[in-house]
Amino acid sequence: MRWFARRLVFYVFALWVALTINFLLPRMMPGSPIDGILQHLTPAQLAANPGIVKTYEALVGGGNNSIWQDYITYLSRIVHLDFGVSTSHYPAPVSQVIGQTLPYSIFLVGVAFFLSFLIGTGIGMFAAWRRGGAVDNILVPTFMALSAFPAFFTALLGLYFLGLKAGWFPIQHAYDNGLSPGFNWEFLSSAFRHAQLPILVILAAYTGGWMLNMRTVMINTIGEDYVTMAHAKGLSDRRVMTWYAGRNAILPPLNGFAALFASAVGGLVFIEYIFSYPGAGLTLQQAVLGNDYALAQALLVVLSVCVIVANLLMDVLNLILDPRLRTG
Amino acid sequence: MSQLDPTLDPALDLSLEAPRRIRRGFHVPGWLALLLSNTKSRLGLAMVGLVVVVAVIAPWISVADPNGFSLLAARQAPSWNHLFGTTDQGSDIFSQVVIGARRSLLLGFFAAALATSTAAVLGITAALLGGLVDDVVNVLINIFLVIPPIPLLVVMSGYVQDHGMTTMIVVLALVLWAFEARILRAQALSLKSRDFVDAARASGESTARIVFGELVPNMISRIAAAFVLVFYIALLVDAGLEFLGLADVSKTSWGVTLYWAQTNSTVLQGEWWPFFFPGAALAFTVLGLVLLLAGIDEFTNPRLRSEHKPHRSRLRMLFGGRLATREEGVS
Repeated sequence: MRWFARRLVFYVFALWVALTINFLLPRMMPGSPIDGILQHLTPAQLAANPGIVKTYEALVGGGNNSIWQDYITYLSRIVHLDFGVSTSHYPAPVSQVIGQTLPYSIFLVGVAFFLSFLIGTGIGMFAAWRRGGAVDNILVPTFMALSAFPAFFTALLGLYFLGLKAGWFPIQHAYDNGLSPGFNWEFLSSAFRHAQLPILVILAAYTGGWMLNMRTVMINTIGEDYVTMAHAKGLSDRRVMTWYAGRNAILPPLNGFAALFASAVGGLVFIEYIFSYPGAGLTLQQAVLGNDYALAQALLVVLSVCVIVANLLMDVLNLILDPRLRTG
Repeated sequence: MSQLDPTLDPALDLSLEAPRRIRRGFHVPGWLALLLSNTKSRLGLAMVGLVVVVAVIAPWISVADPNGFSLLAARQAPSWNHLFGTTDQGSDIFSQVVIGARRSLLLGFFAAALATSTAAVLGITAALLGGLVDDVVNVLINIFLVIPPIPLLVVMSGYVQDHGMTTMIVVLALVLWAFEARILRAQALSLKSRDFVDAARASGESTARIVFGELVPNMISRIAAAFVLVFYIALLVDAGLEFLGLADVSKTSWGVTLYWAQTNSTVLQGEWWPFFFPGAALAFTVLGLVLLLAGIDEFTNPRLRSEHKPHRSRLRMLFGGRLATREEGVS
């Protein structure tokens, strides 16, 4: 459990550093982002929100306060989830915009990443078990080539060939026009249909990474004595592959989860942009293009938190799979 | 030279003849011969080499001004006049792709060089000094691994007003250095405790001599792998930022051609060529770099080799022999 406590401390620390980087970035850059924000608001809008300039000053700097005062205000606002008002979605507060867009992204990346993990480690395990077999010679190079493709190129190809030419998938937005989000069958099935192609693209882009990691570690694991021992005991081939070699081989790829998930969250920006999918990634790109720094900054915080939470979940899984961590 | 030196082993002596002959005949440097000996890295090297050659001769093979306007020639599918078709402004996409290779490659190369040297310097320093410095570097690396790099880059490129080449290189390197720093640090740590480093230290060699004479030569294949990895990530990320419209879209590069294709929603109008050719050029280069990386990885971890040759390749023998000589010779 001490290991887990150390991880928790690290995540809290990482979160604090992420928040601080986010605070310092607009202040270190030349130019003053606050002018960019304010020029999107009319005098009437400014007059209607008396505290708004102060909020923006705390978020991106440019006011007369000392940097420490700004920092304290900034942290307390973040704790209260008050990220100011979005200029591009005026008069919606930033937290509301994020609340509307983030669920789509979590759904997309959550499902796709879980599937890519299952498929990738499964193929990697099997390919290493039967070196030079059909899976190793066909599926491994295919997924390797797919993962080497730029994700946005794969997305464009999928959009053009599978969506536009073949007509198998809807190509734009998260649900049919005319529907409104809600917990009803019509909306959910439409949302599911629209998520299929983006999920396929993420699968194509990320399965290869898991697969290659798993295959590499598995090849080394197969040479271990306990695997030979398991064979000698007369255990079935499948049981040795999954429960003896596979269970041990899966730990190092799991530790590479942080970097892979962080990059998948990044890839989401491109995929949502191409499919006009109204998630956090597309919103981030439009916020940056439209100088809506309050929204952009808050999204970066939220996406970092998502990656940290996902890492935490992975650590719990690691704890379940690796008994050494429980005693150490 | 100790008795363990493999060159003295009569069984291995024969296998060392061939590489010497190759090197004498064509004057191929050792590292290049090594890369050419592996199928994957040979193919990768050829693909990357082709792109570099195209980038160098681009001004002579491009048929038109990459940003030329011609409404008469707009939206043409690929033909003999316009190999890769034209954009909706009538610019020739073939010219855009070959000229664009220059900016894309230069940016990726320098960003990778800066990021890899940062990673190597920090990783080796942390491993050598240990203690507080090591802890700080380690935490820093781990933090950079949990902040999603592309959203960070998107936000940063929103803040920087100037999207020139130098700014983009620095920004990319700043975000991408952590990818390989962890591996380089781990490798430096494990090398540091080897006998030959202890021996060097015991014989009173300076820290600089230990770093550049003992550590770096043994880490060089991993540093090369790190460079190739960051190179292709930088290529992808840079093209991605341009594609999102967050870079200087008045320049010519693969990402910018993709950006205009997306902005003018040419895909939805059934035009495949404006996105296909720059995207394929990028994918081709990245695939070449990935193969090169796979080849380098196979030297460092022989178990990954896919070929089932009865004997180890002669050139690999040379490499293995050299490393062994180095370690045994010192201890």
